Amino acid sequence: MKLNERSVAHYATCESPPDKTGFLVKKGERNTAYHRRWFILKGNMLFYFEERESREPIGVIVLEGCTVELCESAEEFAFAIKFDCAKARVYKMAAENQAAMESWVKALSRASFDYMRLVVKELERQLEEIQEARRGDLVAAAPGGPLVKSKSARRNPLARSRSGASSSSSSSSSSSSCGVLSTAVFSSQRSVQEETHLPSGPSRENGVAWSKPSVALTNGFGDGASSCVPWDSVPGSGNGADVTRPPPVPPRRRGASLESPVSPGTICFSKLHEWYGQEVEQLRGAWLQSQ
Amino acid sequence: MRFNEKELVSLSRQPSERAAELGMKGPKKGDVVKKRLVKLVVNFLFYFRTDEEEPIGALLLEQCRVERESSHVFSIAFLDEAEKRYMFECDSEEQCGEWIDSIIKASYEFMRKNLIFYRTEIHRLTGKDPLEQYGISDETRFQVSSGLQLMPKDTMSM
Repeated sequence: MKLNERSVAHYATCESPPDKTGFLVKKGERNTAYHRRWFILKGNMLFYFEERESREPIGVIVLEGCTVELCESAEEFAFAIKFDCAKARVYKMAAENQAAMESWVKALSRASFDYMRLVVKELERQLEEIQEARRGDLVAAAPGGPLVKSKSARRNPLARSRSGASSSSSSSSSSSSCGVLSTAVFSSQRSVQEETHLPSGPSRENGVAWSKPSVALTNGFGDGASSCVPWDSVPGSGNGADVTRPPPVPPRRRGASLESPVSPGTICFSKLHEWYGQEVEQLRGAWLQSQ
Repeated sequence: MRFNEKELVSLSRQPSERAAELGMKGPKKGDVVKKRLVKLVVNFLFYFRTDEEEPIGALLLEQCRVERESSHVFSIAFLDEAEKRYMFECDSEEQCGEWIDSIIKASYEFMRKNLIFYRTEIHRLTGKDPLEQYGISDETRFQVSSGLQLMPKDTMSM
């Protein structure tokens, strides 16, 4: 299968800061001895170089659909990157000390695209909640309500009767964070079609496309009328061009349903995070026992 | 450069953000338009011959530029070889726009910038770092800017 290798290699060494770098020993693919390599983790890609000064990576491991575990090995501080697919490779690695091993295992476990997407969605949800609460406060402060359209007040009746409470707006969307995440999925799916405030112009680089909305948010905030659309609105009711909304994120994958630490179907962030935490705890416990 | 091809092929079979048959033309001079099943999964664009299980190839969508070439056509070029463009012909203007949007948002770096934006904004509005409750505020990949701690004055300067 072809890959845009030159550009992939360029991603490794371009000026965007890496997520983690360091020496690890890696068990060879053909020659099964362990070789010391310089590793650069960026996003969901783990690059390895012959030496720290090398300009081009020898190889890259795409970290999607993998788990990171302790493994049995002659090497101390060993761990393995395992993939889910049939006849998949197991990448055996070892760090220089316990702290480095734990740090790499943590970083690699959180490297997947889905994990980042989950965190982004969670923060997006939190920001919407905060904005909702503040819009509610504005309504409560001015019952005559020129700041809020009656259309949105109807959709979120709790906003009207509240008097300054900052957290109850979230209850109209769901009773748990998992529920809110799933309604957030609907809204972000719609917003991909209705998003209007990405920079216009003939080209966009996916590194700078987000810059304008932060200005829109600051401007839009004092002007609640044009942007007062609750996050929990029913699908299909239409958001319109919401100028205070930050750049939307890609909608979740459709069709995924199993819940597991690496499955895209796991939409409950706090649960997923708990799994990651447990994994690290288990690793630590297993290592201590083996001592 | 070596890469874990089997695992990448397996990834190409995962549920996609967007998939369609498009006319695809490679970046080299002699390349012609060919009908391909194009599939967007995480930050990869896979392309298949129609009805084949294994993709012909994959494009990692980091450090790339997506441009609208005409009403129905968009291009992808990578920043290290900016003159070489992969061209994609869509069935409609609308479809073309949707693909451009999806591809821009498909990069890990784009998501990271979103995260930094939300994190900074939440901190600005509440004085609290939203990642603290999950114990991940120190994770390198979530840093606002090369490891600096979130302070009110930092968010002002953004």
